[in-house]
Amino acid sequence: MKVEATIGKNMQPLLRVENLVKRYAKQSLAGTPEEFLALDGVSFTVFPGTTLAVVGESGSGKSTLAACLACLESPTAGSIWFAGREIAKLEERASRQIRPQIQVIFQDPASSLNPRWSVMEVLAEPLILQRKFTREEIDRGISSLLERVGLSPDIVERSPTELSGGQRQRLAIARALALEPKLLILDEALSALDCSVQAQIANLLVELQGSLEMTYLFITHDLAMAAHLADEIAVMDRGRIVEQGQAQKILKQPEQETTRQLLAAVPRLTLVPPLLEQ
Amino acid sequence: MKMQRALTRWLLALGALHGTVVCAGFFAPYDPAVQDRMYPYLPPMRVHLVDTQGHLHARPFVYQPKLRVGSFDQYEEDITDPRPVKFLPSGDYYRLLGFLSCRRHLFGAKNARIYLLGTDAYGRDQLSRLLFGGQVSLVAGLLGAGITLLIGMCIGAVAGYFGGWRDGLLMRLSELFMALPWLYLLFAIRAFLPLAVSPLKAFFLIIAVIGTVGWARPARLVRGVVLSAKERDFVRAARGFGATNGYLLRRHILPETSSVLLTQAAILIPQYVLAEMTLSFLGLGVPEPVPSWGNLLSSLQQYSVLISHWWMYLPAVAIVPFFLGYLGLASSLHERGAAYKIESRILGNLT
Repeated sequence: MKVEATIGKNMQPLLRVENLVKRYAKQSLAGTPEEFLALDGVSFTVFPGTTLAVVGESGSGKSTLAACLACLESPTAGSIWFAGREIAKLEERASRQIRPQIQVIFQDPASSLNPRWSVMEVLAEPLILQRKFTREEIDRGISSLLERVGLSPDIVERSPTELSGGQRQRLAIARALALEPKLLILDEALSALDCSVQAQIANLLVELQGSLEMTYLFITHDLAMAAHLADEIAVMDRGRIVEQGQAQKILKQPEQETTRQLLAAVPRLTLVPPLLEQ
Repeated sequence: MKMQRALTRWLLALGALHGTVVCAGFFAPYDPAVQDRMYPYLPPMRVHLVDTQGHLHARPFVYQPKLRVGSFDQYEEDITDPRPVKFLPSGDYYRLLGFLSCRRHLFGAKNARIYLLGTDAYGRDQLSRLLFGGQVSLVAGLLGAGITLLIGMCIGAVAGYFGGWRDGLLMRLSELFMALPWLYLLFAIRAFLPLAVSPLKAFFLIIAVIGTVGWARPARLVRGVVLSAKERDFVRAARGFGATNGYLLRRHILPETSSVLLTQAAILIPQYVLAEMTLSFLGLGVPEPVPSWGNLLSSLQQYSVLISHWWMYLPAVAIVPFFLGYLGLASSLHERGAAYKIESRILGNLT
């Protein structure tokens, strides 16, 4: 599923980010407040049904970007257009309406699932919070979500702490799908998993994209996985996008030093070309 | 597993101690306010099984006390007058658990009064007063700790969750409360009130005051837990589903504070029992004739009692097992809380 194949010339982008800036104030002991620029003028566009991978080292501002896009933090400057609506400077009440449409899968499913709850409660939470489903609809929703991510319905009584890492990430994905979001942000969603489990979850994501026409923003430090999943890649370094383009092009002809370093850090690079040709 | 057993053991021990005090009417042989002017400051009676002739009796007995010849405050046992101990006799009426009217007691003596822990200046039974006094002191401690934790939880949650100027204001306020010399504050509050206050009013007044004063420390602890809990990914995920602040606090964040609050409860309850005792000892607490542990000890303010009637110290000894129980409970709760954290971290990292 490449960009050109799925979108026509006059298709509206699902997400357009313009010149996004996020500045954190660090209060130092000496008194003069220091400033830290987590995002320094980030711009990009994502079309419906495609995947953009944002690749960068830790500390390059990837997770701040995810938090701003998911309306969990408000950016200092710049604008975010989501489905034709500016969402960067929304009031708390209004952003509560938008948030369900943009879901985040976090890196560590052990901390994104409340360990005190059962699988049932975890999956029911988003549905209950929307207050428009009956008890039966919720029960039916839970079993279809479990089926969709390939989990057995017997686990509903268990606690997420009793599941394996892969099962837990599947559960997190199922929960994020519950509200049928338009955009799914995968914030290092594969990094905490074993290689074999990583591949399974990656395939699940590709499958879901095919059947649900989802749009992904895939945030990672792993260029090989980014190339496997994404149509386009944006490379981030210290709060800026330094290089952006089609996945294959970035892999084959990296222009920036940062990209070359990220490529050099991928041990499985030899495996990538066959994957890309699929 | 071993920790769980320690916890159960402490809970059972505390349950037994509290059960004794709750059912004071049954375990105490007499009404705590009934006076026996024949025997003021009678030392604890001894229970015998063997009489002076060396005969073994099947039923334990006590000797009726009498004044020593030529003395007006020294007692001795009248060995010609044994009085057998009776088990489960009918006696003074009392209300079990506050509403069941009963008159069955654990023990008593036939045609005599039995004072296992001696009597006070009015000849009132110390054992009965000790047990009934425990009700007042322990309820004061439990309710006071409950109020403190409730206030502390609310303030700590608001400060930690909303942050900003609210956090700053509330934390400065908590520092102010920790800096207050609260005993003298209580004097000042007492001075504002009318001279004669009914026992019930006085009782609730102390509870309210000691409960309100101590919120600062639990509030700061709760704030710390809330600060770290609100950054957890499952809280962010729930916000992503459109959760409101109230929902996040109620369902995700406050449950995280439960182990801190339980440990604090086990530490605060004995502290507040002690606070009630201090106030009553000073005459600021529950007035006579209602017994409380502080009231019972207040007779020690007289030097003559202090040096010659050792059994008047017994209420101070009675609180030791309670305090030990609570402190043991607190430490095993604390260990369990720490273990829970470690366990969930280890389980979380196993993939």
